[in-house]
Amino acid sequence: MHFKVRAATKEDCKEISRMIVELAVYEKMPDQVKISHEELERDGFCQNPFFECLVAEVPEENKSKDGFTVVGYAFYFYTYSTWKGPTLFLEDLYVMPEFRGNGFGKGLLCKVAKVGKEKQCVRLQLSVLDWNTPSRDFYAAKCAQDLTDSEGWHLIRFDGQNLDNLANEAPKD
Amino acid sequence: MEYKLRKAEPRDVSDILRLVKELAKYEEMEDQVTLTEKELLEDGFGDTPFYHCIIAELQGKNSSDDGKVVGFVMYYFTYDPWVGKQLYLEEFYVMDEYRGMGIGSGLLRHLSDLAMNTRCTGMMFVVAENNEPSIQFYKLRGAEDLSQEEGWRLFRFSKNSLVKMGTPAEE
Repeated sequence: MHFKVRAATKEDCKEISRMIVELAVYEKMPDQVKISHEELERDGFCQNPFFECLVAEVPEENKSKDGFTVVGYAFYFYTYSTWKGPTLFLEDLYVMPEFRGNGFGKGLLCKVAKVGKEKQCVRLQLSVLDWNTPSRDFYAAKCAQDLTDSEGWHLIRFDGQNLDNLANEAPKD
Repeated sequence: MEYKLRKAEPRDVSDILRLVKELAKYEEMEDQVTLTEKELLEDGFGDTPFYHCIIAELQGKNSSDDGKVVGFVMYYFTYDPWVGKQLYLEEFYVMDEYRGMGIGSGLLRHLSDLAMNTRCTGMMFVVAENNEPSIQFYKLRGAEDLSQEEGWRLFRFSKNSLVKMGTPAEE
């Protein structure tokens, strides 16, 4: 099936937002999505964007059963390793179920790698849920290392009230 | 011991690299630090910085201590498509001989303030699972271990794999 991978535009944010929710449903956490296309438009297309996005698009004659031509996305941003320099973090990679098995995921992933290479990035990192075997296998087949397995890294987060408490605690100056 | 926290400036890159190497040495991986002062300068103080740093500097009565850089945090902003901006804590280090004086807590509190003021809804980082003291330190303050609680695993593609993926067999 013919498809194109291109940089997202501000106008794509509604479609990206739709697919973010679809991915959250797949990850069994749909109620955790709190932002909409408006925040994506503001944060991804400002002077110093907080993320970049690529979309997979099919021609009109191959549109989805619900009429969509933007059928996949890769959402990433730049991070930094104090040992190696600029790196890329792939936050989301998603292809609508009816378009899987056609190389769309690989196309998106490889284009992200190409973008990284052009910006002198030395690593690409991402996180995957432990039960998500298809994704873990997909990345392992492309030679990604599972660092949680091999080096014992755990991902930690402070948010909401806990972040607020942290900001308020500790000795005063 | 008096200290002050301030935003890092270009002149701080040699101290930042020194502290990065000290921490790597403690982790027994000093030879893996290939970054140079020149790269730190370009990457942190150019038009679009890849990272930001807060420095902890001594304010000693003793002139040999005054102005000495003894700790730092390196962070950048990331993005969660579900909730928006996040602050990612990449490196957090205080020199051994200056610990126990509140510098670490001060840096963490400063960062949390900064996260709140820049519209971040969370602060994230990784910790090695065998680093029990750090895990306890963070959990006591309300951090969640997402690898344990939600099953997230951290994956990496190294440069070679990246290069292979980035050069298509045919366009």
